[in-house]
Parts: sequence; structure tokens; C-alpha cells
Amino acid sequence: MRRVKTLALLIALATLSIAQNPMDFVSPDIRRVGSKLACLCGSCRNSVGDCSMIACGYAFPAKQKIKQLQTMGASDASIIGRFVKEQGLKALVEPEATGFGLVGWLMPGFALFLGLIAVWVYLKRFRAPMPAVVSAVTPARLAEYESSAARDLDRMES
Amino acid sequence: MENVGALSLLLAFCVAIFALFSAVVGALRKNMFLVAASQRAVYLVWALITTASGLLLYGLITDDFRLQYVGSHVNKAMPLMYKITAWWGGQEGSLLFWSWILSCYGAVVVLTNRKQFKTIMPWVIAIMMFTQIFFLILNNFVVPPFQLWAIGRGVIALPDGQGLNPLLQTPSMAIHPPMLYLGYVGFIVPFAFAIASLITKQAGDEWIHTTRRWTLVTWLFQTVGVTLGMGWAYYVLGWGGYWGWDPVENASILPWITATAFLHSVMMQEKKGMMKVWNMVLVSATFFLCIFGTMLTRSGLVQSVHAFGVSQIGNYFATFLAISIAATVWLILDRLEFLKSESHLESVVSRESSFLFNNLLLLASCFAVLWGTLFPVISEAVTGEKISVDAPFFNRVNIPIGLFLLFLTGVGPLVAWRRSSLDSLKRNFFWPTVSMFVLMAALFGAGIRNEYALMSFGLCLFVTVTIFSEFFKGTLAIAQKDGMNYARAVVELTHRNTRRYGGYLVHMGIVVMFVGFTGAAFNLDLVSEVSMGKSFNLGRYEMKVTELKDGENDNFAWMKASIDVFVNGEKIDTLEPERRIYKASRQPASHVAIRRRMGEDLFLNFAAMATQGQGAVIQAYVFPLVSWVWAGFWVVLFGTLICLVPSKIKYSYARTEVVGATSRAVAAVVETNAKS
Repeated sequence: MRRVKTLALLIALATLSIAQNPMDFVSPDIRRVGSKLACLCGSCRNSVGDCSMIACGYAFPAKQKIKQLQTMGASDASIIGRFVKEQGLKALVEPEATGFGLVGWLMPGFALFLGLIAVWVYLKRFRAPMPAVVSAVTPARLAEYESSAARDLDRMES
Repeated sequence: MENVGALSLLLAFCVAIFALFSAVVGALRKNMFLVAASQRAVYLVWALITTASGLLLYGLITDDFRLQYVGSHVNKAMPLMYKITAWWGGQEGSLLFWSWILSCYGAVVVLTNRKQFKTIMPWVIAIMMFTQIFFLILNNFVVPPFQLWAIGRGVIALPDGQGLNPLLQTPSMAIHPPMLYLGYVGFIVPFAFAIASLITKQAGDEWIHTTRRWTLVTWLFQTVGVTLGMGWAYYVLGWGGYWGWDPVENASILPWITATAFLHSVMMQEKKGMMKVWNMVLVSATFFLCIFGTMLTRSGLVQSVHAFGVSQIGNYFATFLAISIAATVWLILDRLEFLKSESHLESVVSRESSFLFNNLLLLASCFAVLWGTLFPVISEAVTGEKISVDAPFFNRVNIPIGLFLLFLTGVGPLVAWRRSSLDSLKRNFFWPTVSMFVLMAALFGAGIRNEYALMSFGLCLFVTVTIFSEFFKGTLAIAQKDGMNYARAVVELTHRNTRRYGGYLVHMGIVVMFVGFTGAAFNLDLVSEVSMGKSFNLGRYEMKVTELKDGENDNFAWMKASIDVFVNGEKIDTLEPERRIYKASRQPASHVAIRRRMGEDLFLNFAAMATQGQGAVIQAYVFPLVSWVWAGFWVVLFGTLICLVPSKIKYSYARTEVVGATSRAVAAVVETNAKS
């Protein structure tokens, strides 16, 4: 009975394997197009091209479809366009640089720019003016001190 | 049992409300009896939640399948360790775990500070209890962990449970959530002290000195938690990635980033009395991001493999966040007078400036991650159409920021506080810069053309040279002055200022981790369907499937592939990747085989049976330098522990700006020099 159970489980395991040879869907051409499309299986954040789940419910059929369309002579852009037509913009792995997608790209840079302005304002506001000081040390003495300090530093570093 | 558990939680809720009000009223009326009562109530809350947690844990360990939570997350065949892990494996249990850790922190804070900080402690208790009440509302009324299976009015017990998700049945997943929660929840302590100091209008930085260790410890827990999560993803998910920019992963890194920014900027407040408002903002943001991360994981707001599923719990979190953020913003704005800087920046070329830029970049990175995580939700709300933001977006935005941060990691320690002269900059930066460019040229000559990889390796060396030069100069000075050998001198140097040199070690750990991250630019992968006795190649490796084995235990059935690994025709190892199917949940899981080396990991995943049933589908990966990521983590851990050791010499830092005295001071030194 135990043996039968094990066998049943292993058959179940085997059914999880794919019906078609995975090697057919890892070609550079499929990867190139797949890398522009998001894997929408919900388990990963990879592109269709990078999704490594062999029997992924989304990436695997997507790769099959890419191969099919490529065999029919479709260009990369038209394949991607077809996915977008069917799934909407979520089919793309990253936002397009147009429309609201452009906001997605620009916002981090804009935030950094705002931060830079804030730092600049902070530096300007909190930077103390350099006090005008009449030195009580003669230039010769100061040079002597500086050379002595430099000698000490050199000795320490050698 | 379940009645006692539920009653304990209900009592804890009531006692927490009492603790909050007695602390506030006690503080306002200066009634020490009420304050003392609130302190005791905090202990009682801890005892009651501990009782409830203990009972749930008992139910999990003893397979009490009358409880819905136990039936959904445990099965009889699961090992004891994973039965305990099931406590935080589901929504109800993990929120109880949150509450329990929070109550532990509350009890420890009261225990260690009950005789000091008499003014702010009641407010610290009030803030912690306010948060505790929120979580107890969830535990009692929204996702109670002690619900029973019932048909009609009769309680029933399932014959066996569904078991824990197979992906969670790994040792690292047993430790990862507690560590992360310790970090997440722990940040309430500095937050509570910060807000309490604002409420009581404390002019000084007492809260910072008090919470410095807390902050470091919780940051350490966050670091450990995040890294364990990375290690788990690397080992368990079967694709060798340790960071996939999943929303829940992002949620865990967001408070870590702001906490890191806080750890840096807090030095400005300690040493110069500057950036007080900013530190308040950072410590608050860190705490709120912890809560936000918890909400993200549990509400179903974003789609994630790590999430607990869609629930209405997000509305409760959103309400809590809205109230807390509004109150904090109002408080900070109202107390701006008490948060004025005590000194000024003297020069743009100074350590202070480098901290400013460090904070700017960390926050920019935090914002970019948050923006990318929420952009699908935002785009759907604005345009009605969801726009995906996946790993390529995050990599494109964060890699340049990360490299610039790495650069600042090297620059910061070499720039002096107050101001740096051009001469000192030249002297300090000459060798690090030269070594960076020499390495970049050498790597370019060796054929590396990936510009980010070249820059990253170059900057890693730049930072390494700066850190070593800091240690070297200090060690040499101590060795010469005190006549010590170099090994003892370096220990002495570190002991004299543990924060500084421990911090350098943390930086060194980050550098080592960056080396590991950079290795990802050279990853190799291959999917191959191989029959028994056939070979396949990847990189310098030739691999041959020699045997397929199967078997089972009470928990799962398994199939293993024995794969001999050859390099230049010589057998160097045998790896056995495994595929499991868990009986209770009927879910498959991979147990990958990894040949770990510092140079590169060979990573094999038994992905599926071959189509013909005579072989296996093997996913093979070569991950160069990935072990450096884990090695770097240990250095970070070691460095942080050193930071926690009290320094041998107590440093104090003058904050008063010295105007016009510089020349007199120099004159005095020159006179002394001349005399000697």
C-alpha cells in the first residue's frame, strides 16, 4: 500500500513536469522578446524571458506563443504589441516611457532632484559665514608649524 | 484551552487600555501612583499575551485540530521545529507573534528604564501601549487565532491538518520571520522615546543617547532578517536569486534603508546638535514603514508570493497609520522651536556634508523602491489600467544610487568634521583613487565590459583602501606610542572608539556584499533535459546524470538526481538536487544542490521529470562571487556587534562654534612646539 502511495505521488510529481521539451523555449530569440514582457503568474517579479519556473502557468504558455508568432515571421514589436493588446499595459515588464508610464520613470529622479534642492537650501541656510580673523601668528611661524605637522604625518604613514 | 487563550487576549486588550490612560493621566497630573500602575500594567499585558501565545503554541505542537489555525497550518507528520514555525506561518498567528514581541519590548523598556527618565517614561509607555492596543484589536476582533471548527453548534476536530506551506519548511524560514519581526517591532522603542521627548518638550538629545543601542540592535535584527530572507530565496525558490524586488521583499528593505539613514544622521545630532528635525522624521518614517510593510504583506494591496492573501485587515492598518502619521507630523511642526540646530555647517567639504548626501541618496533609494512597489496600484487608481513594475525597473533605478552610496562610504570617513583642506583631501584620496583606476583598467584589460561591474569593483577597492588606511594609520600610531605589536594595537584602536571602527567594519561588510552583488553581472544559466548517463555543459563545468532515486517519509515523497560534476575531465563533486511533493498540501518543492565556493557557486535544481520519464529536467546556474554576499553579512554582523561594545575612551564633542579663536589656538600650539 505504501509503495502504491509513493508511486501515485511520484506520478503526480511527474505530471507537474511539462508536456513539451523546455529546451524548445529557451532560445535567445524567445528570451529577447520575453525579457520585455512581465511574468504575471503572481509568484515572481521576473520577465517572461527570465522566469525560471519550468512549468510556470504564465511564462511557459507565453514562451510558446512567442515561438509560434516568431515562426510566423512576426517582429519583436508586433509580438509585444499583441501581448499588450490582450493583457493591457501590465503585460510589459516595466512602464513605457510615454503617458503615465513616463511619470513612473521620472518620479524617482524628480524626488532626487527635490532632495538635492533641499540639501542646497540647508547648506545655504546653515552654513555659517567665515569669520574674518586677524591672525595672531606670523606666516613664518605658521609655515614652521605646518611643515612640522607634515613631517609628523609622513613619519606616521611611512 | 482556547477559551483561556481568547480570554487572555481580551484581558490584555483591557489592561493595555488601562496602561495607556493611567500613563497619560499620571504624566499630566504628575501622579506617580498612576504611572507606577501603568508600568505594572505593561508587565501584565506581557504575561497575558505570553499566556495566549503559549496556548496557541501548545495547540500547534499537540496537533489540536479543533482549532482552525492549527488545522490550516500544521499536519501530524510535520517535524516539531516547523510546528513551532507555524506560529508565524499564518495571518492570525503571525499577528499574535507581532503582539507578543511588542509586549516583550514594552516589558523590557519599562524594566530597564523604570528608575530613570521619570518625565518621558509615562509617554513612552503610552505610545507603546497605543500600538499594542491596535494589534490587540486585530488579535481579538479581526483575526482571532483561537477560532474552532464547528458544524452547527458542535465543535469538531479534523483528522489531520493541511500543513505548513512547503516553501516555509526550511530552517532559514524558521528564523527569518522572528528576526525580521524583532527588527520591525523593535523600532517602536526609539520612536516612542523620540515622540515622548517631543511631547515633554525635552530640549536635549537624551532620547538619542538612551535609544542608541536599541536602534543598533533593531537595525541588526532587521539586517539579519533581511539577509536570512535572501538566503532562503536563494536556496528554496529554485532559481538562485536572492532578491527579486517582490513587494514584500521591498517592504522589508524600506525601513532598513531609513534606519540606516537614521544611524548616520543621528551622529550629526550627537556630535554637532544638528539635523534634529530630520532625525525625528527618520525615526518616525522607519517606524511607519515597518507598519506599512506589515500592512502590505497582509492586506492584499499588492500581489506577492509572500503575502498572506487578500483581507480587510488593510483598512485597519491604514486607519492606524493615518492617525499616527497625522499626530506625529502635528507634533513635530508644533515643537520645531525645540528642534533648532545648535551649530552651523562650516564647510561644504566636511563630514557633515557627506552625511547629508548619504541621507539624500538613501532616501532617494527608499523612495524609488516605494514608488516602484506602489506604482501598479497608483497607475490603476489614476488611469484605470495596471502598469507592471518588475525587477528591471528597480535594477535600473537603484544600481546607480547604490554605486554612488558605495562611493560615499569611502569618501565619508576621509573627510574631516567641520572642514577639510584641499591638501588633506589630496593626501587622503590619492591612493584610494589610484588603486580604483588601476583595478578598473586591469579588469577592462581582462575583458570585462559591463560598465556597472567595472565601476562597482573599482569603488569596492576604493572603499577598502580608505578603510584599511584608517585602520593602518591608527594602528601604527598606537603601536609606536605604546610599544604594542600590531595585532594588539589594532584591537586597542578599535576598543578606544568602537563606534567608529565597528562602523568601518560594517562598511567593509557592505563592500564585500557589493562584490557579491556585482558577480550577478556574470551569471550563467542553462535548462537541460538530460537522460540517464548523458552530459551537459555550463561554463567550465561538465555534468552527468548518473542516477535517479526516489523515496518517501511521513511528510513528503521525494525524487533525487545524482549528478557528477567534472572540470577539465576530472570529477570534482557529486550533487544531488531533489524534488519533493508534500503529502498534506500536495504541493511540490525543490531542494536544490549547491557547490559553494568563494569564486562561484554551481547551483543545480531538479525542475521536473523528463518528458520520456528516463531522465530529468535540470536547471543549472553558475553564480560568480555570490558567496561574498553571505560573507559580507558576517562582517556586517561582526562590525555591528563591535559598535555595541562600550568604547574604552569616552569622547565628547564641542558644539560651540569657535569664532576668532582658531588663530590663537594655533599660536598657542606653535609656541608649545617651538619650546619643545
